[in-house]
Amino acid sequence: MVPATGLCEGCMRTIDEIVAWGRADDDYKRAVWAEIRRREAQIFD
Amino acid sequence: MQLPASMRVFERGWLSANNILFVGRIDTVLVDTGYVTHAPQTVSLVRHALGERGLDRIVNTHLHSDHCGGNAALRYAFGSRIAIPACEADKVRDWDEDALSYRATGQQCARFSFDETLAPGDLLTMGDLAWQVLAAPGHDPHALLFWCDSEGILIAGDALWQNGFGVIFPELAGEPGFKEVRATLDLIASLGPRLVIPGHGAPFTDADVALERAYGRLDYLSFDPVRNAENAVKVLLKFLLIERRAMALAEVEGLFETVPLLVLARERFLPLPSDELAQWAVRALEKAGAAQVQGPMLLDA
Repeated sequence: MVPATGLCEGCMRTIDEIVAWGRADDDYKRAVWAEIRRREAQIFD
Repeated sequence: MQLPASMRVFERGWLSANNILFVGRIDTVLVDTGYVTHAPQTVSLVRHALGERGLDRIVNTHLHSDHCGGNAALRYAFGSRIAIPACEADKVRDWDEDALSYRATGQQCARFSFDETLAPGDLLTMGDLAWQVLAAPGHDPHALLFWCDSEGILIAGDALWQNGFGVIFPELAGEPGFKEVRATLDLIASLGPRLVIPGHGAPFTDADVALERAYGRLDYLSFDPVRNAENAVKVLLKFLLIERRAMALAEVEGLFETVPLLVLARERFLPLPSDELAQWAVRALEKAGAAQVQGPMLLDA
């Protein structure tokens, strides 16, 4: 985890999101994926 | 298919295998614990999911570094009891890094101790459900499956993924592995699982399709053991690259002279000078979109 952001360095998910993922429906996962893309853009811009 | 309420899957990645958390009335159990560099994250995930409860027990499908690297940290955090495949007991007791796979692969694992052993035929209760312990040799000679007959759920470790299975390591050392993989796939087919929870990737319901792909992959690899060696080299390099994120190309070359399994693969199956084999492996990862060369560096991709 990156302490400053609370995100996993590899998958860019928060602890909450990783825990929820296994029981989540596709809508949730798609929403998190969109959020991941936004986070990536923020970091790599 | 919905998971039983007592069961959660933490889908990780390639460096860390998936973790399966069971919250039962009496006790809590985690199957597999990820890679050592992710151990703090694994402890956080488990703590977050358990709330006030502790983690009573850790169970490992097999003892590769990506499946048991969090054992030590979780035991430290929760005082959990640890159960490992019985055939590995002596090696773990003595922490024999040569007999365990860590030195051979150039991977790391934090030393842990164990309290219980598991053997094919044993019965486990996890999440208030009954699980049978079955043998799954091939990828690892001592690997185990956990099968819940009442729910039709299989915890497969690296014996079956949605797209393939783990590297057939024994064949690299000239020990049998291909026919063991086939027997393990046959066993899984005979169970007819409704849901497979693989060691890596999302849980899946189409076991038949995955099995068909796995048999095809096995036919391809076993047709010529050089293919299995090539696959092993690529997977081992990719793993070290994920762990380190970037490596100097010169360092990659050094791996083929120092990491015992890479040296073995080179000597037995891929007779090239180490620099040429390193170049081949780097190109293969690049072609697969799994790595990127930038100047003198190889970057994970």
